[in-house]
Amino acid sequence: MPLLRKWLGLSAIALLSVFSASADQQSAGNTTAADTPLSTDELKNASSVDALTVPTPGEFFKAIEKGGKPNWTSQYRPPVSIKSTDRAQMALNLGTLIADGYIAVEAHDGQQVKNVGKDVLALAKKLSVSQSVLARSASITQFAENDAWDQLNEELEATQNEVKKALEENRDTDLITLVSIGGWIRGTEVVTGLVLQNYNAEDAKLLRQPALVSFLKSKLTNLPGKIQKDPLVQNVSRDLDGIEKMVSFSADHVPSEGEVKDLNLAASKLTKQIGAPE
Amino acid sequence: MTRFILAALAACLVLTSPSRAETDDQVTARSDVIDLAGAFQNDGFKIRDGNFIGQISKDHSQIVAVNLYSGNAYWFTASTGQKLDKLKVSLFDDSGKPVSYMPYQSGPRAAAGFSPDASGLYYVKVALQEGQPATFCLIYSYK
Repeated sequence: MPLLRKWLGLSAIALLSVFSASADQQSAGNTTAADTPLSTDELKNASSVDALTVPTPGEFFKAIEKGGKPNWTSQYRPPVSIKSTDRAQMALNLGTLIADGYIAVEAHDGQQVKNVGKDVLALAKKLSVSQSVLARSASITQFAENDAWDQLNEELEATQNEVKKALEENRDTDLITLVSIGGWIRGTEVVTGLVLQNYNAEDAKLLRQPALVSFLKSKLTNLPGKIQKDPLVQNVSRDLDGIEKMVSFSADHVPSEGEVKDLNLAASKLTKQIGAPE
Repeated sequence: MTRFILAALAACLVLTSPSRAETDDQVTARSDVIDLAGAFQNDGFKIRDGNFIGQISKDHSQIVAVNLYSGNAYWFTASTGQKLDKLKVSLFDDSGKPVSYMPYQSGPRAAAGFSPDASGLYYVKVALQEGQPATFCLIYSYK
């Protein structure tokens, strides 16, 4: 915590130095708290948007790195089937593959980045959103060959957003939810796997995300009936109920090793179903 | 730095719905907030490739739900890009109680730095303290 305060403090200093010439009323450097709690109405009417409310896998992975460099390659998985013609499955799969891309970047494994990139492109073609990915794939390959890991992280995030934008343009907005869910499930599988390798309380507490799962579930509930009847989507929806309970613990609770293992098994099971041949 | 700002700006543009025409106010707010957030990148903060654009007035604040991870450090940054405005960004926990954060305020630009002790849901409130109803853009950075 003191280290984090130091980081924030440095940033505040950066702000002051950057803007001191132009700002006449500014404050930074002191910690404060807002005066009035939010009202019930304010809480009820708060906005939730995919672009800010759902963290990226990269954000999740950044948090687990704080305790030391994880063994990212241990979280690789065998290539998944991308032959499915089920668009819901393709969208979920795309989300898990983009998370795989983040893992390869964290592992500083250029070849794996390129391998995952090929699968992402293949799935994007099948979902008719390949143009947006094609534009990024060349730079992803180049960054991977140049070991430009920070830029790769940015490219992956941009790729995910461009896929979602293209789905929106194609009037496939319902599939955007599934891409986000796929990414979160695979991210949870990976983070729980890493926590289990070197169990400690700080890392285990990262898994507290009740509102996030609730938000994703509410988006699933609002999908059109046709997609909701998809057997895989039904499985995901049902299993998310269980997962929601596992990540809904109080802020002062530390999940036990057994609890982390249960969550890892649940996320792994779903990831396998999403990547299974049709 | 310029490259990062341009990349982030391009990414934000990508997120804009093609079905909605982008107004000058939105462009101004977005480019101004990215300019402000760029200051954090020197300290290793990465700008999240996403934003929230909304309308704000002195009587109507905007509140956005975010899910954060303990261990990460965050800066939430907002701007209207209109010189006469005075904006404030503040943070609350999942029950709506205020949390301690590091504030920054300079006219239409405001930010709040935060390192959560617990992972989970938090709320970001953007309030207009002075000025006419305006369009604002909210983004966040993390490391």
